[in-house]
Amino acid sequence: MEQSHIQNENNPVIAPKLLLSGDDSGDRILKIIGDFDIDSIGPMGGVIDEIINYLKDNNAKIATIDTVKLGKFDTSGAHLISKLIEHENMPKIIGNHQSFERLLNEIDKYHDTEFIEPVETDIFVLVGKRVWDSLKNAWAELVSTISFVGATIYSLVKSIFSPQKIRWTQTVAIMETAGFNAIPIVFMLTFFIGVVITFMGAQTLQSFGASVFVVELLGWSVLREFAVLITAIILAGRSASAFTAQLGSMKMNQEVDAMSIMGLEPMDVLVIPRVLALLFMMPILVFFAMLAGLLGGGIVSILSLDMSVQMFLTRLQENVGARHFWVGMAKVPIMASIIAIVGCRKGLEVENDVISLGRNTTAAVVQSIFMVIVVDAIFAMVYNELEI
Amino acid sequence: MKPQDAKTPILECDESEIAIRLRGVTNKFGDTIIHENLDLDVLRGETIGFVGGSGAGKSVLLRTIIGLNRPFAGSVEVMGVNVWNDLETAKKKLASYWGVMFQDGALFSSMNVLENVMIPMKEHTNLSKKMMVEIAELKILMAGLPLSSAQKLPSELSGGMRKRAALARALSLDPYILFLDEPTAGLDPITAGRFDELINELKETLGLTVFLITHDLDTLRDACDRVAALANKHIEAIGPLEYVRTQADGWLKEYFSGPRGRAALG
Repeated sequence: MEQSHIQNENNPVIAPKLLLSGDDSGDRILKIIGDFDIDSIGPMGGVIDEIINYLKDNNAKIATIDTVKLGKFDTSGAHLISKLIEHENMPKIIGNHQSFERLLNEIDKYHDTEFIEPVETDIFVLVGKRVWDSLKNAWAELVSTISFVGATIYSLVKSIFSPQKIRWTQTVAIMETAGFNAIPIVFMLTFFIGVVITFMGAQTLQSFGASVFVVELLGWSVLREFAVLITAIILAGRSASAFTAQLGSMKMNQEVDAMSIMGLEPMDVLVIPRVLALLFMMPILVFFAMLAGLLGGGIVSILSLDMSVQMFLTRLQENVGARHFWVGMAKVPIMASIIAIVGCRKGLEVENDVISLGRNTTAAVVQSIFMVIVVDAIFAMVYNELEI
Repeated sequence: MKPQDAKTPILECDESEIAIRLRGVTNKFGDTIIHENLDLDVLRGETIGFVGGSGAGKSVLLRTIIGLNRPFAGSVEVMGVNVWNDLETAKKKLASYWGVMFQDGALFSSMNVLENVMIPMKEHTNLSKKMMVEIAELKILMAGLPLSSAQKLPSELSGGMRKRAALARALSLDPYILFLDEPTAGLDPITAGRFDELINELKETLGLTVFLITHDLDTLRDACDRVAALANKHIEAIGPLEYVRTQADGWLKEYFSGPRGRAALG
């Protein structure tokens, strides 16, 4: 290849031109001037169509192609030229361009290809299809969630009856990363929630002259709702996504397949340890969250509402009591299972491409937060009916 | 200079005959030296095949040439453009000079084959949509794929088809140099043989320089003008296959004279 055929600053694109000349016999000469390659043929599409129409109208054909003044030429240029010529009898070529004839012959092999136009769908059809698809997906999602939950419960029950089969090493490792390591963030967040509730509550209650009831407000809301919900949301963001990413990349790497042919059930090896780890750790996290919330609220009450430590603790013990602690804790196993199961299921659903890994990780977080809040609402209604 | 006469890493010939020029390239990761003072000249219009044991640094060398792995020392020139002096400018310029087919295709998984092939055109040319589609489909055909696969996603293709789709994308801008990383790895012998033919055909018709990394002795025999053996941190032997075989030593000797080597090369 010659240096001159490489485009650089000293060798800019020469705008292409096509000249058609000839006599009345119908044979025309096509003269190609300038560069005719992918960088320069952009504006030539219209010209080519014009020439095709002209040839058709005048019942003429291109009998000769003059390439003496042709510069750069490549497959894209050849593609345009091949549209102009009759394939049964190739035109005579004048000039000895280094690659013209070779490329034209190569590209002309494909002249009878029907090029497929990309399909552009009507907007209404598109919207309808989207709606229908998402309904279908939602149904499939529901069915597969229920079946996965069933499979998990089955394996869980099985492993409870044969606890020696549970992979304790892995379970403990996950307990550390998903549970223990989350203690600081859970503690911090609920601490501030406690602070905020007390401040806001005290302001409102003060107008009734009942600011001392802030202790009840704090105790009820932290023990029943906030500690559980905040912990669940943090775990959904922290652990559900991690589970999906871990299992998803194992799936992409065919590790899950390798396991199952070795007779290791992915359910037992991957899912159960994660479910167990969260079942063990989430109560502990929620316990810390409750402590932190009460601590935050207590500090505000004592320092800025001029409540004595004694009074705060007494009111907490007498008017809030352990009942609300158990009301909050009772939700924890359900929340933990939801987070672990959603995370694992989304991970095992990853297909063999990167897109689905990202999509499923996002979906795991969104779905588990959604379900946690829905379940919390259901609990609230049930408690309300039971008057606990 | 003819490829069959070029038997040294450094060639005494005119600048305009050289496609890739490496001088004193040293690569190291931590304390592990991969290449030390490596020189190489690749001629324009030749197909050069790189062989070497696992960990000999074939892929690192490729990544150094295509601007993905900065060498510790030395210079890399592709089509007269220094790759590492001003990487950003060089990459802009070289994007239409080179096409790379990565080992597993590296097709963008969110796009279908046609869109994958059109990506470089969208970035670097001002063609109309219709023309782009036609040219992209032409490239898909040239890479030996049926047009029915143009609308498929990479995840719906077999390994061999993914490689062809990747080849179509590499050819998208009519490059001067085609880099192929293990083009026939993981393909059945018949598909691999067809791929060798395809490389030869494309090289002939498009006037390409082909730089390929391979373990496949058949590819070396059928598709390569020259073979370069990478060992002991530099190019141990380079030249036509017959010549390199006579230079064989150590790993290379085992490679060529093992049962597979004898079966393929006789």
